[in-house]
Amino acid sequence: MATQLEQAPNIKTELRNQISIMIGGQGGDGTLTVVNLLGRIFRDYGLNVYDARNVLSRIRGGHADGVIRASCDEIYSTGDEIDTLVAFDEEAVTLVLNDLAPDATIIFDSSKGPLAQGLHRAFTVYEAPLGNMAASALRRNIFKNTIAFAILGRILGFEDEVLVQVLKARYARRGQEALESNLKALNIGLDYATKSIHSSPYKLKRGTNSGKILSTGNEATAFGFLVGGGRFFVGYPITPATDIMEWLAPRLPKFGGVVKQAEDELAVINMGIGAAYAGARVMVATSGPGQSLMTEGVGHAGESEVPIVVVECQRVGPSTGEPTRNEQSDINHIVYGSHGEFPRLVVAPGTASECFKMSADALNLAEKYQLPVFILLDQALCQNSESVQPFDIKAVTIDRGKLLSEESISKIPLYKRYQYSEDGISPRSIPSLEGGQSQVTGNEHNEFGLVSVDKSNRLRMMSKRMKKVELAKSDLPRGNNFGPRDAKIGVIGIGSTYGPIIESMAQLQERGTKVRFHQLRTVFPLLEDDLKEFMQGLEGIFVVENNYQGQLARMIKSVTADNERIVNITKFDGTSFKPIEITNAISSVLSKSSDAASFKLGV
Amino acid sequence: MQSVQQAPARRIYTPSAPIWCPGCGDFGVLASLKKSLSDLGIASKDTVIVGGIGCSGSIHNNLECYGIHSLHGRLLPTAVGVKLANPKLTVIAAGGDGDGYAIGVGHFIHTLKRNPSIVYIVMQNGTYGLTKGQPSPTAALGYEGNKDIPFDAVQTALSIFSTTFIARGFSGNQTQLTELLKGALNHANSNKGLGFLEVLSPCVTYNDTYKQWREQVYNLDAEKGYDRTSRPAALTRTMQLLDEGKIPTGLIYEGTTPSLEANTLTQTEPIALQDITSPSNIPRYEELLKDFR
Repeated sequence: MATQLEQAPNIKTELRNQISIMIGGQGGDGTLTVVNLLGRIFRDYGLNVYDARNVLSRIRGGHADGVIRASCDEIYSTGDEIDTLVAFDEEAVTLVLNDLAPDATIIFDSSKGPLAQGLHRAFTVYEAPLGNMAASALRRNIFKNTIAFAILGRILGFEDEVLVQVLKARYARRGQEALESNLKALNIGLDYATKSIHSSPYKLKRGTNSGKILSTGNEATAFGFLVGGGRFFVGYPITPATDIMEWLAPRLPKFGGVVKQAEDELAVINMGIGAAYAGARVMVATSGPGQSLMTEGVGHAGESEVPIVVVECQRVGPSTGEPTRNEQSDINHIVYGSHGEFPRLVVAPGTASECFKMSADALNLAEKYQLPVFILLDQALCQNSESVQPFDIKAVTIDRGKLLSEESISKIPLYKRYQYSEDGISPRSIPSLEGGQSQVTGNEHNEFGLVSVDKSNRLRMMSKRMKKVELAKSDLPRGNNFGPRDAKIGVIGIGSTYGPIIESMAQLQERGTKVRFHQLRTVFPLLEDDLKEFMQGLEGIFVVENNYQGQLARMIKSVTADNERIVNITKFDGTSFKPIEITNAISSVLSKSSDAASFKLGV
Repeated sequence: MQSVQQAPARRIYTPSAPIWCPGCGDFGVLASLKKSLSDLGIASKDTVIVGGIGCSGSIHNNLECYGIHSLHGRLLPTAVGVKLANPKLTVIAAGGDGDGYAIGVGHFIHTLKRNPSIVYIVMQNGTYGLTKGQPSPTAALGYEGNKDIPFDAVQTALSIFSTTFIARGFSGNQTQLTELLKGALNHANSNKGLGFLEVLSPCVTYNDTYKQWREQVYNLDAEKGYDRTSRPAALTRTMQLLDEGKIPTGLIYEGTTPSLEANTLTQTEPIALQDITSPSNIPRYEELLKDFR
């Protein structure tokens, strides 16, 4: 297809290592499409990418934005400032006014009038009636995002052909009409840029990455499950967990597996338990509200010793809360939520790469210890994309623990599903194995799985089950430590706080504060030796988390009995930490030599 | 093949004695179940009984086979999970009407809709016996002050267009009950879908309805000209009988709809028994890396 493109004007450029771009407007404006297009280009430029989407829980309307940051260096968050903003309305500018770099460039859709003078500050503002341009040329306002993309492409110094190719790649499968309209829109944008943009502040250096992939935590978790031998996934649609089911739905059946959407989370967890009991490797995924419905079922799995992996994608709660926003406020629920006491394990990856590996490993933990294993995620980790090395498929191992075969059962004189054993783990039979017939139940039971209220049996059975938690400690992921050993200041965090903390460490270093970071990866049971080793010699320890109460800090205090050194930095406005927010919080506590035990951002 | 009745070498557990009161209707169900499994030669090792919560939901403890006791109301999703993981198993969910029609009614409706090839036996007695006689969803008006119209599961099942086997038996008629149960087992084990069997199973302690039900039951199997393959005919006739104060029993409806497994599973080898460590998967996994933009 021949597309005549005019040459871009001679642009005076400044080579940059990194850039952060936001596309903001109303839901349905196509903001995320632009983020996706940019992501492909940045990847082809060999750059590292990190992106985040901020949408409302509605199909159309309401403010929505996407941020994409690209860099020659490793990046772990969307950073502190936005360099370039595409705003389809004024709200998209006002909402992020304080996050814009002082010299930011704004492409503003002036279809409904020019940008208010007060919002111009020192920014470079290109005003174009993007919506009107699209409507008059293509009869549809929606093509304004492709016009904006073209202008953005010129501002970023991309060659026009690169823009054409990425559009072709995206729209190739959506029909010739969609592609042609978008190419027309692209040309409209390029024409505008040729006439209006005479200098651009940016030209991105090419990066040296090759072969990296882009993944969200949810996609990585789903893939890890598949590679780990997971063959039965059951779920109920809920933000921000649904992507896991959506990723698996077209893929798992190709491996003989099942993806089942159930009627509610009560069915989800119990269908999962049924399939796991029968011998499949099972994962279920939900977020807080669904987890509340699953809590009884998880206890049932613990009591009846059925291996199952439960992914909890935390969002702002309680109740419906803010379904699309980030929070880490279900830690208590996941660690303590239960009637009665049962063994469970809770792991928390911090990156997409870890989501992949820990998802596969969680299946091993579940089968080896015959209990429910939680993978604790949060919305930002679930749904933000990052550049990562391709997942290491060959590093995944499969350990089915004490799962019996018919041959091994034949050597057992009298099979008992819940046989007392030194390590608390009983050999496990599954239906269809001759000689392994037995009862599996959430009633307290004797070794055969038959109901028992005998006192001494209760003591032995409870101890048998509960001691598995202690036993599992040696198998659980230890924390990752970063930063200089001689640092006197420590930071502890889980999940998506990983990125902002890593970037904050560099900022603090620039301010003369050396920091060590312990990325906690096992939330229950807390590995106290691991924690204490990290905390040794530190003068101050900042526990950084996205919730009000400081749930993680409280847990750490409870196992380390260390109330003196721990300061809690919490943020609960629905957004992730920016690196600079952590930096400033730590700096301000340190400079005041304040003995405040908690620092609530924005309060 | 070794059947539930005739396990020779005792290498597995000895089933518990039932917890039920003397005269409980559930004894009839247990006897029918044992006889059906034995007569049909269904291997103990391939039988999974999923129990609900309540007196009747302890039935899985009383047979020699695989058993799993689910949470209250959750026996159907549990049973469906078992079946999808290993469709070669004979999966029997068994519980009471409180379990199935009250706390678990959402799953009941969706299981009827999905038509999994399992058997679902509901021992219906109009009361919560285990908690000493509160009215259940099927309780008659006035029973223990009940003001709610009784729920009729057979009519509900008839109104869902994907049901394939709807039957009602009475523990006071052992011959009919065993035939219905065998029919349900054969239906499920031929992968035709859900064999739903409600059994009128009186609670002699809190709601002894034996006498009343003996007078009310009406055996549709014995009715000449009754067309159990026609949903409208079944609905019309059962509504008439209910209007006359009768309770229709027998194989009330039999139809054909693809089963859940037929709609869901992509291979005949059970997932539960798949070799997930096979190295031949690795290149296929690596191919999927391409999906990461």
